[in-house]
Amino acid sequence: MAKSILIVDDSASVRQVVGISLRQAGYEVIEGVDGKDALTKLKGQKVHLIISDVNMPNMDGISLVKAVKEMPAYKFTPIVMLTTESQEEKKRQGQAAGAKAWVVKPFKPDQLLSVVQKLVLP
Amino acid sequence: MSSTDFHAMNSVADANLRLPAQAPGRRRLFDLAAWQCSAVGAAGGISTCAASGGELWSWFAAAGLLAAGVLVDRRHAALKRSLKRATTDYLVAAEGVGIDVLPVWSDHIETSRVQMESAIASLTERFAGIVNKLDQAMRASNMAGSSTQAEDQGLKAVFSNSSRELNAVLDSLREAMASNSLMREEVQNLHRFIDELRQMAAEVANIAAQTNLLAINAAIEAAHAGETGRGFSVLAQEVRKLSAMSGETGKRMADKVALVADAIANARRSAEASATREAASITGCQASISGVLDGFRGVTEALSESADVLKRESLGIQAEVGEALVQLQFQDRVSQVMTHVRQNMAKLPEQLSQSRIGYERNGVLAPVDARALLAELEQTYAMAEERQTHGGGGAAGAPKAEEITFF
Repeated sequence: MAKSILIVDDSASVRQVVGISLRQAGYEVIEGVDGKDALTKLKGQKVHLIISDVNMPNMDGISLVKAVKEMPAYKFTPIVMLTTESQEEKKRQGQAAGAKAWVVKPFKPDQLLSVVQKLVLP
Repeated sequence: MSSTDFHAMNSVADANLRLPAQAPGRRRLFDLAAWQCSAVGAAGGISTCAASGGELWSWFAAAGLLAAGVLVDRRHAALKRSLKRATTDYLVAAEGVGIDVLPVWSDHIETSRVQMESAIASLTERFAGIVNKLDQAMRASNMAGSSTQAEDQGLKAVFSNSSRELNAVLDSLREAMASNSLMREEVQNLHRFIDELRQMAAEVANIAAQTNLLAINAAIEAAHAGETGRGFSVLAQEVRKLSAMSGETGKRMADKVALVADAIANARRSAEASATREAASITGCQASISGVLDGFRGVTEALSESADVLKRESLGIQAEVGEALVQLQFQDRVSQVMTHVRQNMAKLPEQLSQSRIGYERNGVLAPVDARALLAELEQTYAMAEERQTHGGGGAAGAPKAEEITFF
């Protein structure tokens, strides 16, 4: 059974590139266009890891992390922030909200894969 | 921010223009400052008249001073009006840039951004297709068998299995041939027995002949003995019969031996012919098998080599794919920067309108606040190169892909 990963980003090309990298490694990939859409996609779907952008319309990444941590089914799902943001302040916010890692775009596929493999739920 | 936002803002600015005129009290009907030179002239004239005690020349002088004052004032007022008109025209024109030109710039930027986004999305999709096809090709090639395959899979294994089995067939053919030659040897040995049997048959015949002679001699002796030899001559007769019988048996044995010798000779000839045929056949088989295995080996080696080449190349291709995937992510950054710029551009027309309205209502000339605009722009920054460019570093190059932090 392939493991599922949810990628949340308002940019279609980022979702595509993440999709290519992860599918090559055998993961199933679900896409969300922003925080709100991500929460909808999560309902009733088992995911083993979430990758999320920070700056998105409707609901930003940090808020999404907080919202996911409130959901009992996904409390322990690891969340990786994938963003152009590199400011320490934003990173601290991400860490405080419960994210497990902060990856600055652009990412190298093999590096993202190693982060995923390290953190993904067994 | 789209051009509709721009137009909405502009129509608000236009609406401000059409508001009813300011309360009449604001416009002073009698502006003392506008007549200050006239007042000075008047004061001068009055003091001249007073000082001269009302002389005629002083009245002319007074009138002249007043007239000069009034002229200066009116000149001043005219200059002020023309300056105000020029300033208003300038501010209206500047506002016009904000209303007409900036939306066009903004729309061009947005068009470019959208086109780039859709082109890159399409490119990325094609790329995904290529990556998939490469994967499939790799899988198919692996099944065909590269040199690093496990020994029990792939063409190499099929080849060694075939080789083993064919050689086993050859071996069993050789074994058959070996046992045939054993058989031939046995048959050769039979020949010796035949000779012995012949000899024995001859001895039997000899013994029979000798016995016969003895019996004849015995009969003669018996005849010489007369009546006493009669019993003996009967015995001699019987012995002659027996020796005749053994003579017969000996002859029959010799005949049979001759037959067996013939049969054995035939068998020998047959066996030798068959052995020759078998040897030729085995040689032929061996050559055939070698040929087939050689051809097979050639094919498997070529295939194995090309699978190895594909495997090596694919490592290089994987690296290229990784690099390309990094580059494809830049569309997102570029898009963000363009959006931030457009958002900031949208603030300018409002400021230009406010400038004009402020001057028309209050006569106060408020400049556009560049610092505030830059500060608002800076607030929207999310990326390091945006801050670098803002800091006066000129256009920034693309950042490296490296930063990962675990919490």
